[in-house]
Amino acid sequence: MDLQLAPLGSAAAFLAFGLALYGAIAGMVGASRRDARLQTSARLSAVAGFIVATAALVVMQVALLTDDFSVSYVATTSRIASPTWVKVVTMWAALEGSILLWAWLLSAYTALLAVTAPLNPLRPWALSIMQWVQVFFFGVVAFIANPFELVPFPPLDGPGPNELLQNHWMMAVHPVLMYLGFVGLTVPFSYAMAALITRRPGTEWMTQTRSWTLTGWGFLSAAIIAGGWWSYEVLGWGGYWAWDPVENVSLMPWLTATALIHSVQVQERRRMLKPWNLILVITTFSLSILGTFLTRSGVVSSVHAFGAGPVGPAFLVFFLVVTLVSFGLLAIRWDDVRDRADLDSVVSREGSFLGVNILFVALTFAVLLGTLFPLLVEAISGDKVTIGAPFFDQVTLPLWMLVLLLMGIGPLLPWRRAEQQRLKHNLLWLGGGFLVAGGLAVLFGVHKVYPALTVALAGYNIVSLGLLLSGALVPRLRLARRPALQVIRSYAHESRRRVGSMITHFGVVVIALGVAFSAGYRVDQQVRVDFGESVEFEGYTLTAVDRYVERTPQRISAGVVIDVSRDGRLIHTMRPRLNQFGDRRAVPTPAVMYRPSHDLYLNLNSQVTPTTTFAVLRVVKSPLVTWIWIGGFILALGTLYSLSGSSRTVPARASVGVEARGEEGASA
Amino acid sequence: MKNKKALYAVLGVAVLGVAGFLISQALSSSLVYFILPSEYARDSASFDDRRVRLGGLVEAGSVEFNEEQLHLTFHITDGIAGYPVQYDGAPPDLFMENGGVVIEGRFHDGVFVGDNLLVKHSEDYHPPADGEPIDIDELKESLR
Repeated sequence: MDLQLAPLGSAAAFLAFGLALYGAIAGMVGASRRDARLQTSARLSAVAGFIVATAALVVMQVALLTDDFSVSYVATTSRIASPTWVKVVTMWAALEGSILLWAWLLSAYTALLAVTAPLNPLRPWALSIMQWVQVFFFGVVAFIANPFELVPFPPLDGPGPNELLQNHWMMAVHPVLMYLGFVGLTVPFSYAMAALITRRPGTEWMTQTRSWTLTGWGFLSAAIIAGGWWSYEVLGWGGYWAWDPVENVSLMPWLTATALIHSVQVQERRRMLKPWNLILVITTFSLSILGTFLTRSGVVSSVHAFGAGPVGPAFLVFFLVVTLVSFGLLAIRWDDVRDRADLDSVVSREGSFLGVNILFVALTFAVLLGTLFPLLVEAISGDKVTIGAPFFDQVTLPLWMLVLLLMGIGPLLPWRRAEQQRLKHNLLWLGGGFLVAGGLAVLFGVHKVYPALTVALAGYNIVSLGLLLSGALVPRLRLARRPALQVIRSYAHESRRRVGSMITHFGVVVIALGVAFSAGYRVDQQVRVDFGESVEFEGYTLTAVDRYVERTPQRISAGVVIDVSRDGRLIHTMRPRLNQFGDRRAVPTPAVMYRPSHDLYLNLNSQVTPTTTFAVLRVVKSPLVTWIWIGGFILALGTLYSLSGSSRTVPARASVGVEARGEEGASA
Repeated sequence: MKNKKALYAVLGVAVLGVAGFLISQALSSSLVYFILPSEYARDSASFDDRRVRLGGLVEAGSVEFNEEQLHLTFHITDGIAGYPVQYDGAPPDLFMENGGVVIEGRFHDGVFVGDNLLVKHSEDYHPPADGEPIDIDELKESLR
């Protein structure tokens, strides 16, 4: 008898659900009764759950790669003619498969925690919370959106994944990064809950999860940048961020997570902001679930939204449960959590961190409001409305500028209280950087407010990084009797977190410049050009050479060949086209000429048939846009650098206060 | 100590107040209503010179496209009211007569000047047979 993949996959999903449920309950009982044997069995079930989930994943991959259309997910989203890489990534090209992937990543993180996390009073509870989250995800996979339904009369072929997704390799990367980010941030949430349950709201839960939080944040950052790049390369309007609801809901947890990775440092150093950190970690996790609900339920209209279905309500219920239970728990434990320390001075490291936290929360609130307001209006008045990009730009741009402002001064301020002399010296330098960069920008014709301000703030931040480095290196160089290069290398090696944060902040500056110029000085035009003729655009001559058609088993491309020349010299040949995958609608596929100073972006806006004599092109010139992707890369590198040392350099210092009650350090 | 707390509280309230004011200003100025031609006909004054998203069907026989100038004109209708639409640009892929469209722009003297044209062809919407009236709610829901 043939081995049927559908029941096999279903069985694995059910088993994973069962193991998660067992582990969650056994872990709780084991933890509250201090029963080591039960705790061990819960840990084993986490590992077993990961193995079973992996089996489900393998079954899905085998079904996709062997075109087994008796598996429902394969029948609705895959296609024989797709190349192998598309079949592999088809697993997360639609709803059911992406939840399976999410659940699998969750089980992988849980198993990793179960094996590697050091034994302490928090661990059993944290593992149990992770497994409760798994219960939800595997519950969805097994009962609500089972990708392994048996199709009794399998079709001969399927429609293939969404055309916008299979049109670009980035689809292989972006969703995985996003889930890695969300799952990574589940770990600090679980430990925070464990801390509340066990009445240990000190710094323990944060030091335990520091690398997990930073990893999750790094993945989320990379996912958002990759998502922007995907939009840029695929959607054909030459932009990368449209304040679309799906983009917004990925940004919100990132904003609160960014606030979190800054404010946990205040608690580590000063034992302050305890309740605040708990609120942030809960909010971050809740927002990631809320986002999934909003985008997967059809309540918000968006270019990326999957259709309505029973999964949306399930996520809504889960969101409500998570929010009520965790904030309820926080309320019950409020007396243990409350801060007793106070800020010595606003002009201090913790003051600046507090400021940046307020900014990120305000940003989150603005984005949330803009995303949900249309729903509110419709619920109240019945009018259908949308909130356009102008709202988000108007509200968030001033806040982003303030973020850049604090990013420069914050790291230069000492903890507790800044010394006047030093502060003046630093401010003088920073002000100089701001004025010189801003002045140069205005001199060279940057007259729009936000781009000019961004350049000024970039100069200011570069000076700040210079001051930070010189402040750390100059005394070391003066004292050391070693060659300068060695001193610098050993500093970079010893202070990985510090240096990593500098690299990350530098990446943010680069991204800010890319955003400011590509948004502020973009030129967007529609042109019509006959074959054999040319049009002028921003100093370029675009010549429509010919049309062409290209066939692969996967798709048919019909496009035009455009020669791009400047000053009479041919510099590039571009092929904007329409790609058609099977019976799906043809998708315009832009051609991009990447240059450090600006990109030239062509999108084909007309049909190409054998009788066509002209092409209509959307031509976009986008200054500095490439630097967004480069900045994203620098940011990821900085995060990685921070992580590479976090396990060695920090715990020794931080663990001093782990068992102690938080306030002592602060009031001393 | 007590003064400091009070200072924080006052500052916090002030910041929140300013932020709330800015946000509500921005919200009311960038709220874009989604309407059908008949809704505009009923209450023209409140939508004039305001950015809206206008949804409807492309009236058969009304489409004119100037290939040289890349200028598109057509009539948009929901079966009750109809308006001429002007749009600079080529008709998008799948743009067709009797097909659903949503166009963003403003009304000027009874003519809709749009700058962003989207084709909506929803599988949920079933166009009425000849002579049968259009179900407005169904149309609107299918276009959003």
